[in-house]
Amino acid sequence: MPKPLVNITNLNLEYQQNEVLKGLNWQIFYGENWLLGGKSGSGKTSLARAIAGLEKSSGDIEINFDPSSVLPKQVVFVSSWYQFTNLEGDRNFYYQQRYNKHQQNDTLTVYAELLKFAQEEALDIDDVSYYLDLFGFSNSKNTQLIELSSGENKKMQLIKALWLKPQLLIIDQPYTGLDAASRKNLNRVFDDLTSQGLHLILISNDDELPDCINRFAEIKNSRLVIVNNKEGITKEETRIKKVLPYFLQQAPDISAKSMVRMNNVNVKYGDKQVLHNVSWEVKAGEKWLLQGPNGSGKSTLLSLINGDHPQAYTSDIYLFGKKRGSGESIWDIKEHLGIISPELHWYFDSTARVWQSVASGFYDSIGLFHDLTHDKQRKVDEVLEFFDLKEYKYELLNTLPLGKQRLVLLARTIIKNPELLILDEPCQGLDAVQTQHFNDIVDELCTHGKTLIYVGHFETQLPTCIEKRIILKNGRVEAIESLTESIF
Amino acid sequence: MANYFNTLPLREKLNQLGVAEFMDRTEFADGVNALKGKKIVVVGCGAQGLNQGLNLRDSGLDVSYTLRKEAIEQKRDSWKNATDNNFKVGTYEELIPNADLVINLTPDKQHTSVIKAIMPLMKQGATLSYSHGFNIVEEGMEIRKDLTVIMVAPKCPGSEVRAEYLRGFGVPTLIAVHPENDPQGKGLVEAKAYCVGTGGHKAGVLRSSFVAEVKSDLMGEQTILCGLLQTGSILSFDKMVEKGIDPGYASKLVQYGVEVITEALKQGGITAMMDRLSNVAKIKAFEVADELKTIMRPLFQKHQDDIMSGEFSRVMMEDWANNDKNLLTWRAETGETAFEKTPAGDVKIGDQEYFDNALFMVAYIKAGVELAFETMVEAGIKPESAYYESLHETPLIANTIARKKLFEMNRVISDTAEYGCYLFDHACKPLLANFMKTVDTDIIGKNYNDGKDGAVDNKTLIAVNDAIRTHPVEKVGSVLRKAMTAMKTIKTV
Repeated sequence: MPKPLVNITNLNLEYQQNEVLKGLNWQIFYGENWLLGGKSGSGKTSLARAIAGLEKSSGDIEINFDPSSVLPKQVVFVSSWYQFTNLEGDRNFYYQQRYNKHQQNDTLTVYAELLKFAQEEALDIDDVSYYLDLFGFSNSKNTQLIELSSGENKKMQLIKALWLKPQLLIIDQPYTGLDAASRKNLNRVFDDLTSQGLHLILISNDDELPDCINRFAEIKNSRLVIVNNKEGITKEETRIKKVLPYFLQQAPDISAKSMVRMNNVNVKYGDKQVLHNVSWEVKAGEKWLLQGPNGSGKSTLLSLINGDHPQAYTSDIYLFGKKRGSGESIWDIKEHLGIISPELHWYFDSTARVWQSVASGFYDSIGLFHDLTHDKQRKVDEVLEFFDLKEYKYELLNTLPLGKQRLVLLARTIIKNPELLILDEPCQGLDAVQTQHFNDIVDELCTHGKTLIYVGHFETQLPTCIEKRIILKNGRVEAIESLTESIF
Repeated sequence: MANYFNTLPLREKLNQLGVAEFMDRTEFADGVNALKGKKIVVVGCGAQGLNQGLNLRDSGLDVSYTLRKEAIEQKRDSWKNATDNNFKVGTYEELIPNADLVINLTPDKQHTSVIKAIMPLMKQGATLSYSHGFNIVEEGMEIRKDLTVIMVAPKCPGSEVRAEYLRGFGVPTLIAVHPENDPQGKGLVEAKAYCVGTGGHKAGVLRSSFVAEVKSDLMGEQTILCGLLQTGSILSFDKMVEKGIDPGYASKLVQYGVEVITEALKQGGITAMMDRLSNVAKIKAFEVADELKTIMRPLFQKHQDDIMSGEFSRVMMEDWANNDKNLLTWRAETGETAFEKTPAGDVKIGDQEYFDNALFMVAYIKAGVELAFETMVEAGIKPESAYYESLHETPLIANTIARKKLFEMNRVISDTAEYGCYLFDHACKPLLANFMKTVDTDIIGKNYNDGKDGAVDNKTLIAVNDAIRTHPVEKVGSVLRKAMTAMKTIKTV
């Protein structure tokens, strides 16, 4: 019997003085492709990083590459968050930066980044075009990294990893933010590459897995538990319904019957047009779904509504009953709405504690710069209690598991009881149960007179209150429709 | 045009140098009201121009841009910056006559020609704003008597001005009204409103004067901010290589070290920076800094004297008239130094190692900050102004070195700062030649604590700590920093 590709014996790992893995053993043999699932916070990412040599641990991790394989003897780990730096090497970005145009390029273009990567890893740049086509990326070669949407950034990460074709590829949340077509294509590539000798470990709680996945495991009590199939993996506990805090049961003040009205709106960067003649009205109390493939302009459309896009000033847009550009400040606009988006999360203040993150929602700031009145402190406590986040109150936001971080940001979004909620892919990276949990809360919140704009890729995972849908494709409105019960 | 400062009687010189009032948040309760509905026209659309304009418009104000005809016709970057963000852009003739507030954000050197072109076009009683007072104070530009002249100067690069605003915060800002040009008494009210429009009122505002701003700004940038960092980087690198330290390591230790060391300075002043050292190392650094201060004090005084007398700007303007001959020669020379040409090595240096292995840099920065501050205060500049132009800006400049070394620093700073930086550097290196002979790798390149048992004398330690903590720059710094605590770390490493 050949040696296993990965042989882990008695692995111990701590994260911030907490024991995450203890005496963990795992053997991965040639031809095996694993799904690593289980509850958030159980140590999946830490284990994956340890195998890739990115995390300090004690115990033995032995990798025995296949000498007969033509694939590089390499372990590649793809993290759940993408990361890039600007040309000067620092990462001091802000989430609206992609809308603020500046002639001096802040980041490399997609193609320049891939060229650089090819040079560093001694790859042939011609080989990448297959993957660019596969993810519908061929037209984005000259786009700057900062201009990519969160789904497109995920694709960049995946393209690089697949291009390397390592013998062992570990991907943490591979499907985050991908549209349906890209997910299918990704799974096809997984099946293809594994047949050529690539080994896969996927950390995911998704249902649509590639066929090549043939082994299943989860981490329980700091050890690896092997199960027979994905149904055997422990699900998150379902949430016990709670009563909304009193102040969130009050209907918010409605400023206008028409919350958002835009007429023939165009957004252009130089020669590149991102939105074409978009007209849309959101009336008070309506619950909208905004859909479209990655890069179709969804976040750009929302940025026109939340005050983040500089080109809104010269467009025919009315927000909360007022013409945009008639002397209002962006803070006047933000006061009316609560927003959560992958970008906002990505760029959120890394020094903020959980309670500060929530409280910053009173002021629409990224980070808290005010002292809180007693009344506001009480509201923060009530909301934390409602979201079962009380025990994390004083923790740093970015040390919480992803699902909990999302809940904190949702709490931030609603803390001032705004009339309009904008939830841009709020459940990215969450599993089915967490998503259900999140959407149940959205449904509860929306029973009290709120207006909702929700962005989500999958019809199976939406709040039930949604009644209308707008679909974007290549920056154009493809459909505006009322939803019948049938899609749920 | 005559140097404005030199035309003043001593009484008035002291009076204007002494304007420094740290403003309370409540003074900005009126928000942007004073500029609401007024036409604001920004001249120039580089990093400061574009980002300040974006902030002002996002605060509900009416902003457009005016550029020279050629910039518009040739669709230069400034034109693209403005139009890509859907701002109205027009020539001076088109926009200036209707402007209530003209904000001049062109490079210092162009001020005279820009002001000469726009002043005749400005309407009666309008306001003209600067972000640096060189043109008024040193070049002696006289502005039409019906116009109000103010200054609003965010103390951060333009990109930070935008980033902090969108977070809901701001950057520390200096505001001033020129006493010769405030015919309606509206200058301060408008400067405050402008400051609110950029978000500056949230991060600490210092009311200064044109004179105090120029004389302290020139002093800071020539000495501690740029000159001293340039000299220190080169001397440290050369010494390490001379003593056999790997050049890649030496290059990295200096390039990123200045940023890591000054980040502690930014958060907690010289006290915090020195506290990152062990007790033995701290005492040694204190002694080295004292020695450096004694050697360099006359040079700092000479720079301050030449700035006060106008001698510095006179000589520099001669170089302007001579097509920047000196500036360009010196810039080229900096590009040829061994430090500049040795890439940072692919070695990992831990956060603490940047302190332990670069005791000389810590001592040198301490000496520079304290000397610049002391010299300014002795010359009649108030401690608040002196703090902004010494300690406060050091980490910002260090960040540019971390990005791409001295070439980058000199690219980012103004030509005026760059010119002064080279003057300082050329005088400082020979001044320190003898001292540098005594320097070995224990204070630059290797860990000073190695081979020592760490024991110190109680009394010495107490005296050293006391001297560090009670220095006037620490006293004023602790007050001013409280207003800026929410500022984000800018980090390259």
